[in-house]
Amino acid sequence: MSSAISDASKPAGGPTPAWAVYPGRPARRAVRLFIFISSAMLLTGLVSMLFADLLWRSGWTNSSTILLVLFVILFLLISIGCLHGIYGFILRTFGDPDQITRLGDYPSQSIEGVSTAIVFPICNEEVARVFEGFRATYLSLERTGQLEHFDFFILSDSRDADKWVEEERRWCELALELDALGRIYYRRRISVEGKKSGNVRDFLNAWGRRYRYFIVFDADSVMRGETIVDLVKLMEAHPHVGLIQTVPALVNAESLFGRIQQFANRLYAPVFIAGLNYWAQGFGNYWGHNAIIRTDPFMQYCDLPSLPGRKPFGGQILSHDFVEAALLLKENWQVWFAHELQGSYEETPQDIIENAQRDRRWCQGNMQHGMVLFARGLRGVSRIHLLLGIFGYLASPLWLLFLITFNWTLWFRQHTGLSVITVRALTPFLKLSGTEHAFLIFLICMGVLFLPKFLALIDLAMDGPRRRAFGGLRRATMSALAETVFSALHAPLQMLWHSQCVATILLGTGVHWGPQKRTPDGIAWFEAVRHHWANTLIGILWGTVVWRIDHATFWWFMPVLAGMVLSIPLSVLTSRTSWGERAREHGLFLTPEETSPPSELDTLRVRMALLERSGAAAPPPPDASIAEAVLDPYVNAIHVSLLREKCLNPDYRQALAALGVGTPEVRELGERMLSKGPEAISGPEKILVLSDADVMSWLHRQAWIRSSDALAGWWQSSIRQYAR
Amino acid sequence: MDVSLESALNDPAAGAEQTGRIVGRPLEDWNAAYAKVESYFHALRVRDKVLLGRLVIHVLKRAMRRAPQELQCPVTELAAEEMDLVVTDWFAQVLQESPAGTDHMLSTRGRLALLLADMPGKWQEQFLRPGPWPEAFVKAMRDAYLRAGPDFQLSKMAPRPLDLGPIATLTQLSQWSYGKMVFIWIAFALLLVAIFVLTHFPFTH
Repeated sequence: MSSAISDASKPAGGPTPAWAVYPGRPARRAVRLFIFISSAMLLTGLVSMLFADLLWRSGWTNSSTILLVLFVILFLLISIGCLHGIYGFILRTFGDPDQITRLGDYPSQSIEGVSTAIVFPICNEEVARVFEGFRATYLSLERTGQLEHFDFFILSDSRDADKWVEEERRWCELALELDALGRIYYRRRISVEGKKSGNVRDFLNAWGRRYRYFIVFDADSVMRGETIVDLVKLMEAHPHVGLIQTVPALVNAESLFGRIQQFANRLYAPVFIAGLNYWAQGFGNYWGHNAIIRTDPFMQYCDLPSLPGRKPFGGQILSHDFVEAALLLKENWQVWFAHELQGSYEETPQDIIENAQRDRRWCQGNMQHGMVLFARGLRGVSRIHLLLGIFGYLASPLWLLFLITFNWTLWFRQHTGLSVITVRALTPFLKLSGTEHAFLIFLICMGVLFLPKFLALIDLAMDGPRRRAFGGLRRATMSALAETVFSALHAPLQMLWHSQCVATILLGTGVHWGPQKRTPDGIAWFEAVRHHWANTLIGILWGTVVWRIDHATFWWFMPVLAGMVLSIPLSVLTSRTSWGERAREHGLFLTPEETSPPSELDTLRVRMALLERSGAAAPPPPDASIAEAVLDPYVNAIHVSLLREKCLNPDYRQALAALGVGTPEVRELGERMLSKGPEAISGPEKILVLSDADVMSWLHRQAWIRSSDALAGWWQSSIRQYAR
Repeated sequence: MDVSLESALNDPAAGAEQTGRIVGRPLEDWNAAYAKVESYFHALRVRDKVLLGRLVIHVLKRAMRRAPQELQCPVTELAAEEMDLVVTDWFAQVLQESPAGTDHMLSTRGRLALLLADMPGKWQEQFLRPGPWPEAFVKAMRDAYLRAGPDFQLSKMAPRPLDLGPIATLTQLSQWSYGKMVFIWIAFALLLVAIFVLTHFPFTH
């Protein structure tokens, strides 16, 4: 058990300026930021001038103004992306000493007497996968010999009764198997107030003071033991750092879509993040997981206020991570990206639809950041992080608007019969015809979009071991080309979805797709039609309109239209695990974690395969876990013991009472469940029954003691399961 | 507690006084009771077949003693009650706690102790056996305790007010630490606009 460190948890520094540790740092960082943003402004300014000139040459209208404004915004965004690639490439080629991992001698740092909590906030997740990921991380940390400095917490917010019971059972089994009772803990919250950030806050309120640091995992996160230890050492070496964010590598994808995303992440992210770190330095960001946080300042400054007004902008802050980082920075704590640290992993959606569903959640959270964008006291860098997050989604409707306005301009010109008379402008100095002028802008845009990918390939070519880990340069290049084609087809779909998300969020309505039906190999055709018919229809109608306006423009629009028209087969085929496997056999989209899997991922893969083969990974049938919680003497004992221990916390006791625990109604519900089966009570009623320790003990005894005529047939058949 | 199979089978109360009946109850009722008690011991992961048989017979024997007096009570229920009593009494002895009566705390604690002490894996032969038990077994049972978390160290995070007023902030642009840089970029943009106007508007006339 880690030692309590209430006093030791106080950082050596406190709220003195973050740059105090590194004299001269603010100036250098400010210069870096100035150079970076100025580069983007310069590039955008020059190309915008060229674009404005093109518009001017063909006759200025109101539409031209709209097009120009949209172009400036959109080009600025892609140029920032491009410059991340360029700066990152240069820094990776020539070296950048200004990284958290290179400032000071952290490897020699001792973590003796330092206690760190590793927290896994989960909510209705696939339980077997969560616990196997957890096991892989635990075993990896155990191998470092530093396990004694860490405690593990599974922080459940699951509202599904079956998931709740399964989590408890798997937790106890795992803790017993690893001989880690008293090191691996499980806590399920009674109310889900504040969602994930509320879950973490609840942990901090109960146990936070015991730990100097805590490391937040996602349900699908896995981390290498050495990486975890390194994070603690880095925090110890830099007492003014409040948070260090690792850059998780996407892993374990099996579908074609997942493998493409995984490949893109592994190939491009190092270059982009190096570029991001160039200007962010100690003013980085937090992505919600796979990060270490200094407990004391986080508890002091990062409890998020509720935003005024109604949803979707008011109320609880959904994407809490960006705001928490901004609050730490506001109070002079540094936030760094540790992009050189390897061994931090997460998983990615396996198909286009799942990806869009995740985007929908993130979109709402990021759009909400508009409310805090101008909050007093936030650092300018935080505003840039927030703004980039907002435009990550807002760019889609702007792009859509740009394309529509462009089509409108074409149609208007054709409708009015006005001919395009190119006039003398800036470009005569460049000696370009109107068409050449337009083509030059197009080439620049394509260059800005694709240059970072090209630089990432050059970066790979210069790094032998890394090149081999991607299956060689030829395969990586082929994969990058295929990824580019796919992302060109995928981008218009994302544009439509993000636009829809932004529109519905602004209107205060939601898009609820419900759970999707997957076949073992991927998305079913019917399911794809259900989700993509509108995309296809828009693509066909749009294409028809453009074709009727101008045949030549139609071909320029082909990449945009093709993604929409082909959305159904694109969604189905890229969701296929068999296609993902086939691509792997052909050496496409290989990543270092696929060519030589680290032991953590290997453990996870083998364990999951075993569980799947034995059927133990499959979610139990409805109410099966309730039967287990009532009938199984051990599961019932675990469940009841955890409930009783929960009552030691006055907050939980109060919450249980507020839920109705201890009232005669719960016993009545239990009686109804016994006599008529669990289907006789609703989901929330099941949760209520499961929350009452006395009723659960009583149910266990009654279910075993009562004769068959006093029990629902469902219980009798459940009891018969134990006879086998 | 005598859990030997011989004594169970030789109990006069367990004798069949007429075909198809035991102590006045139909044989199928006893079979159902047997199945239920056996299921419970299965649920406790008692996998030793001989031990399992002995335990079930022991419980049924006790139920048979009660059966003539409690004619209204179904045999399965009698057997299940006896099973519960046998197990809880044994928990009380091993854990040195007073028998629980209607309180289920002891039963919960006992079952949990069986799990944490790994009775199914290490101590199966000790289950429901009268004492004295091996010291290691008793220690494992008595020390067993499930902790969902370390001792609470309660505190209360409180959100700090965040002044969101965009207008207030916008009016103080000059106080931003990046004000100068923002000013330079704006000036740069204005310069571009100026160049554009200067290079284009004369041509409109």
